[in-house]
Amino acid sequence: MLRRLLATNTLRGFHTTACMNEVRLLTRLRVVDNSEIGKRAMAEGKPPKVICVYNKQRVGYIGDRVMVAIKGEKKKGILVGLKQKQSVRVPKFDSNNVVLIDDSGTPLGTRIHVPIPTILRTILKQRTHAKGADYTKLLGIATRFV
Amino acid sequence: MSLAIRKCSSDLLSITKWVVRREYRLLSTLPENIEPANTDVDEKAPRTGRRPRLQNPVLEYRHIYPEFLPDPNPKWRNSLREKLERADMLKRRAKIDIPEFYVGSILAVTVSDPHAQGKTNRFVGICIDRKGCGLRAQFILRNVVDHQGVEVRYDLYDPIIQSIQVLRLEKRLDDELFYLRDALPEYSTFPFDMDPEVLPDGTPVPINDVQVKLKPRPWLERWERQELKGVSNIEEHLKEKDRKRRELRKEPWEKYDLMKQYRRTIPIEEQSEIWGEVYNQLQQMHVSRRKVARKRVLATPKPQLG
Amino acid sequence: MNQAEVTKLVSKLRIKIPPKHRKMSSPEGPEGRMNKLRKTVTGLFKYERIELNHNRADEARQYAERLIAEAINHGDCHKPTMEMADYWLLEKELVHKLFKVLVPRYENSNTAYTRMLRAPRPEYSYNTEKTVLELRGNPYPPLHNKQANNRQLLQNILLDAAKYEYRQTKYAEMAENIGKNEQEKPSV
Repeated sequence: MLRRLLATNTLRGFHTTACMNEVRLLTRLRVVDNSEIGKRAMAEGKPPKVICVYNKQRVGYIGDRVMVAIKGEKKKGILVGLKQKQSVRVPKFDSNNVVLIDDSGTPLGTRIHVPIPTILRTILKQRTHAKGADYTKLLGIATRFV
Repeated sequence: MSLAIRKCSSDLLSITKWVVRREYRLLSTLPENIEPANTDVDEKAPRTGRRPRLQNPVLEYRHIYPEFLPDPNPKWRNSLREKLERADMLKRRAKIDIPEFYVGSILAVTVSDPHAQGKTNRFVGICIDRKGCGLRAQFILRNVVDHQGVEVRYDLYDPIIQSIQVLRLEKRLDDELFYLRDALPEYSTFPFDMDPEVLPDGTPVPINDVQVKLKPRPWLERWERQELKGVSNIEEHLKEKDRKRRELRKEPWEKYDLMKQYRRTIPIEEQSEIWGEVYNQLQQMHVSRRKVARKRVLATPKPQLG
Repeated sequence: MNQAEVTKLVSKLRIKIPPKHRKMSSPEGPEGRMNKLRKTVTGLFKYERIELNHNRADEARQYAERLIAEAINHGDCHKPTMEMADYWLLEKELVHKLFKVLVPRYENSNTAYTRMLRAPRPEYSYNTEKTVLELRGNPYPPLHNKQANNRQLLQNILLDAAKYEYRQTKYAEMAENIGKNEQEKPSV
């Protein structure tokens, strides 16, 4: 059965590799904070899937807010590192990283265990408005900037 | 510090010889013309049939400063723009020391960063690619920080760059090291507090012949088709199907395509014109930087003592 | 914007190089194209003058020029150049010809090593341009007539006749004028 499936996969005529490495609907992300749900999801080998990107292009760029499906729940997160080609001086990461937040912008975890691009400081400050959610709380739990 | 500096004594001699000989020929009338002709004959006599041409030693600069050569595609050629760009590049090089480095060297780049808290940002990593020409020359640094692979692309002539430091000057077996993305992380992990390694004067750039181990598939590219020399365990991960396809995709006639080579390179005549234009300034910069570096070496023990 | 390759040094060709190669449609793809060109280059080196379609001649000419330039630059003790000559020249005695005959011939030349001339198009042919491709300094009689003042050319014969006629009329006029002057002089 498995062999047959693989055979059909190779004969499909189009390739399914994600060349652009874009974060769009149903992309798998990597949770990089130490929130309980995120840790469990990554440990079980069921990384969260994007179900909505909150911008007009519907393609997630650095600092964008996404909604993910994680362990059967809907959670919001912020993209803190992308695999996609970045502009000059902006770091490109080997995985698509996300930090889970709640509606008010408070991160669910208490620590981010991978480096965070410094440009996020400016981006998140711009996204934060006086009455809306405060995304800059995320910067407080970061351990390292590159 | 750099190849040109280390080689400078021998290079300078040969270059001056070449220049002198050339001017000699230009200025000379008949009697002086005989001399070089005689030497040519002497050189020819022992090896019959073989005549390697007298090559301009300045052409060796193409390895150190590849971005000074324009894009060989005639669609993008514009002699005036190229000339202006070279002048701008020299101006920038006068301000900041852009050292000699190659793909495989380990660099530390400090940029002024409005987003960072200290307003500067330093990144250390191995150079995995060098591309672009003129003012658009770029290089990519790769490192693994906290078990997370990070790559940063820099413009070589970016005015925001404060300093570029070569921590370890070496070459690798391949021209681009994108396979480090699929290799085990230890091959691209470098500590941020690495000390710069100084090569003694006059040594050629060492070639690091380390062969990396790839992680199991899936990979980002089909590495097996690229004839990589710096990968040791590529065959372990291949299936029979991949080997067959690799054979089918081989292009053994490619290396004989003389015009393809020609369209990718800048001919000798054009190159010597370009290097003749920038040679003096580059040489002056190197000599002055070398003096400063020597002084610094002498001066460093003092604060430690005090 | 790409960086130029620096591993190899090539000398500049003295002919016009189109920015892109011609694909020369062939069922074997790029390999077939190279095989076609190999045949043409071998023929050119063997016969020194060949007549063929323009496209193929122009493409093969570039490769022939490059091969000679490489041979001049590196000589016959350079292994990659030898391999290159071995690939491009299908008949092995031509490799000797390249290094022993052609290299000395072109070593000090300041022009291109080959010459391409337009040949007359065959009558009732399709729209194919014919070209003669030859190595410079070949032993054959030259193809183009360089004598600008060839007396046997039709236009030169006609011009000569016209000049002669004009001169004759002028002489006749002068003779008449002299006769008139002599008649008028005594009366004055």
